[in-house]
Amino acid sequence: MQLVCENLSFQYPDNGTIVLDRLSFTMQGPGFHAVFGPSGVGKSSLARIISAGITGYTGQLHLKEIKTILYSYNMERLPGWSNIGNVLQQVTPSGRESLLEELITVFVLDNLMESRFSCLSLGQKNRVNLIRYLVQDFDLLILDESLANVDEKLRQIILLYIKDRFPDKMFLSISHNLMEVATFCKEIMVLGTQEERGRGCILQGLDFCRDVILDRNRLDRCMLEIMNAC
Amino acid sequence: MLVRRFVRRIAQFLIVYGVGLASLLGLKYVLTLSNYVVPDISLILETAKDVIADYIPAVFSTLSVTILGQVISIILAFSVGIAGRKSSWLGSFIRVTAYNIQAYPIVALAPIIFILLGDGFLSRLLIASMICYFPLLLSVLGVMAAPVRDIEHFYQATGRMTWQLEVKIRAFENLSKLTTVISGSATLAMAGTIVAEFIAANAGIGYSIRTALYQSDLAKIFVALFLIGIIISLYQGLLESIGTWIIQKTSTELPSHAQ
Repeated sequence: MQLVCENLSFQYPDNGTIVLDRLSFTMQGPGFHAVFGPSGVGKSSLARIISAGITGYTGQLHLKEIKTILYSYNMERLPGWSNIGNVLQQVTPSGRESLLEELITVFVLDNLMESRFSCLSLGQKNRVNLIRYLVQDFDLLILDESLANVDEKLRQIILLYIKDRFPDKMFLSISHNLMEVATFCKEIMVLGTQEERGRGCILQGLDFCRDVILDRNRLDRCMLEIMNAC
Repeated sequence: MLVRRFVRRIAQFLIVYGVGLASLLGLKYVLTLSNYVVPDISLILETAKDVIADYIPAVFSTLSVTILGQVISIILAFSVGIAGRKSSWLGSFIRVTAYNIQAYPIVALAPIIFILLGDGFLSRLLIASMICYFPLLLSVLGVMAAPVRDIEHFYQATGRMTWQLEVKIRAFENLSKLTTVISGSATLAMAGTIVAEFIAANAGIGYSIRTALYQSDLAKIFVALFLIGIIISLYQGLLESIGTWIIQKTSTELPSHAQ
């Protein structure tokens, strides 16, 4: 499982702003990977290029053993004509009903299945949205701030659960949460600052898993490296 | 709630009607106009007593054509709006055609319809539908052609999107707008029907107004206008109530984080 970008360049067609400039990197293997950087450096554009949501870029994108790519983002909504339970069941492929039940429990959403999406808090909305992607068939799932507004404790539980439950899938997390990215991801693509717009470098994260003791010193070093690279 | 809405609508109409009538009466007394030009209150009331039995069935005849015309235009507007929502050449063609045709005063085509179809029900219905149809179509096209990306993205990414689902999402997301437009189009349909009855018809309140016009009987016209105002207020109030009920039915639950 490999994601390779070679000299990827992209500029907004309306104003000509260069977002990505000859960006090259490789991400290998299943698990959590991340794209990190300040706002406006092209994280979401990169995600949309990878998920074929944007055309008109130059450069090469090579995917090995990755057939289905899904892109989820935190502003997504579910239709409001039915309750969440019904909407989730309707989009769950047959045979994955038990996975859906499990996800609902882990994501602490059992009591909300009778509610309409518009009645949920932002964190609840993001959790519900992520569940419907996780029950789909995918090789690479891009999570663009998909756990925004979820409290730290629950976010940690969810991330560890996903790592355990989907060990053969690749995840690309786009987040502004430095600690989360440094702790849970194994490769972090740090997109450059305004001066080196469109460039980036790959750093190693801690790839923290369940039953492993977190090395605080390593985490601090990793976060410093990321901050320096930004 | 329903009664309060009807009362409010009728009260609004009565205020407007009262102000209009008072202005005319004021003009009458300032300029010392005769009852022939502007009838006084007692003459209006006397005329109302004489013609009300004929005018009530006439206004209901107009209302029935209005409702039927509006239903036809809603069905047509949704059919064409759904077909024209795509960014394909057919969708673009439908949208451009609709925008161009609506810029033309449809009521000017009424004589052609009367020449071809003659006086009567069908002509009234057709003109009512046509006048109501184009503003409705533009609103439906606007709603149907605007993607709701935050909802549609998932269904497109997972290959679940069908045209029925797309229409359902867009209609649901714009329910409030659509119900307001449909409610507002009732006035257009009523105006279309009355215009058709003015030009050439053998029934309806517009036909009664035309007859009163030939007799230069302003009192009869005041009575007809009063009945039209009351009936359109009730009809619009009913449509608004149905719209509110649909919207409330789809969002009745309390926010879970507020429970």
